[in-house]
Amino acid sequence: MALTITCPICGKRNGYEFRYGGEEKGPRPDEKDLTPESWCDYVHMNKCVAGVQQEWWFHRDGCGSWFTIFRDTTTNLEKETPEAQE
Amino acid sequence: MFLKNKPMWGKKTKLKSSYDVVLIGGGLHSLATAYYLAKEHGITDIAIIEKNYIGYGGAGRNTAIVRANQRTQHNVPLYKEALDLWPVLTKELDYNLMFNNCGNLNLMHSEAAMNAARMNIATAQFHGVESHLIDAKEAKELVPALNISEDITFPIHGAMYHPPGGVVRHDAVVWGLAKGAAKMGVEIHQQTEATDITTKNGKVTAVVTNRGVINTKQVMISAGGYSAALIHGFLGIKLPISVLTIQAMVTQPLKPILDHVVSSGAYHCYANQTLKGEIATGAHMDPWPNYTTLNTAHYIKHQAEALSEFLPALRGVRFMRIWGGLADMTPDMAPIMDGNEQVEGFFMDCGWGYFGFKSCSAVGRHMASFMATNTCPDILKPFALKRYQEHKLMGETAALMSYSPDN
Repeated sequence: MALTITCPICGKRNGYEFRYGGEEKGPRPDEKDLTPESWCDYVHMNKCVAGVQQEWWFHRDGCGSWFTIFRDTTTNLEKETPEAQE
Repeated sequence: MFLKNKPMWGKKTKLKSSYDVVLIGGGLHSLATAYYLAKEHGITDIAIIEKNYIGYGGAGRNTAIVRANQRTQHNVPLYKEALDLWPVLTKELDYNLMFNNCGNLNLMHSEAAMNAARMNIATAQFHGVESHLIDAKEAKELVPALNISEDITFPIHGAMYHPPGGVVRHDAVVWGLAKGAAKMGVEIHQQTEATDITTKNGKVTAVVTNRGVINTKQVMISAGGYSAALIHGFLGIKLPISVLTIQAMVTQPLKPILDHVVSSGAYHCYANQTLKGEIATGAHMDPWPNYTTLNTAHYIKHQAEALSEFLPALRGVRFMRIWGGLADMTPDMAPIMDGNEQVEGFFMDCGWGYFGFKSCSAVGRHMASFMATNTCPDILKPFALKRYQEHKLMGETAALMSYSPDN
């Protein structure tokens, strides 16, 4: 199997039950002082880390939760949270 | 492999401490850019640096299909030029690229898809690219193995027929361009990994590699799937890219049965018969970013199901090999080509997704002109990174491809 994801409610499940929700980019930028640049950065831009990244997942075919995990993009394996912090 | 044998493109050279131009990534876009820099602009002090070996990435993993029936007015002329260049390059390089313009058939499975094809065809014809709409019966006449009955999951309504497209031997393009570029003095350094780009006062000064520092004023990153990670790592520039693994496979060799490239969006499947007789077929991508190039049983099954529906003669045929490669996808399915914008002397050519092979010849030529003259050719202008900020995304896909929460 290519990927398993640990849902906070359902536990470790087949990756095909989930939908990827993008890189964790911090909170949505404040509408005040929003520039096309900062909005574009939030909406489109990625770091494309070849290594461990924090990312969002949605348990589409399960409980419907949104949550973040840390995953190594070069191995598809989930990682423990603290060591992955930048 | 790397030590004793003489490389097939020419003499092995020592890595110097400075070059006029450094190209990061030993794929087709770098090779073509180097070739045209030398050929059309007389710039030959060029180093191509490649972490693995040339053609290791997308250049050797794609399914070799070429075509020019894309969707938008900006993209079609670029792909047309690339398509027209295959016979020219074959002659120029004196290297058989095995261009087989067998024609492409994009199957349509609904009336809505037929209407969408009408728009694509109108665009293609406007730009002088041969493309026609044909009905299911005509498709069956071209490809007798097609199943045009109505009792399959996605019955075939018709097809977008693009006669000038076909396949090109992808490895031959790598070797031919490498040989052609090396002959004019371009140096190709394999097993050389770029680890950083240094800048001073907003200008590129050097490329740092695992074999030492190379001073240069111009550098291009066109490292396929790794471009976005390198560009962010070296220069802190984020790109609207998601890197996904895309898989392809070939069956055991068969007698001639399929003399066109057949593809279907609804089935997420395309197939053509190689000159060796194998049916080469490709799939969609696992929809989460990764650099694994892992194969999955999911897609082997998917391909088998799809092929046995619309090409039922292939039922029972065995898959022989499967492999994966990286596709750097942008939200609008169009590439990013830019230069001298974020940092002076820095150029990028990335975000090609799975279109990097079919475009390499023409893009190399225009990127070469861009680097040699420091002026962006008109044909590349719409592909600048700024378009995302200006919300001028290209319509290469009807719905944005987004691997982010808004989808």
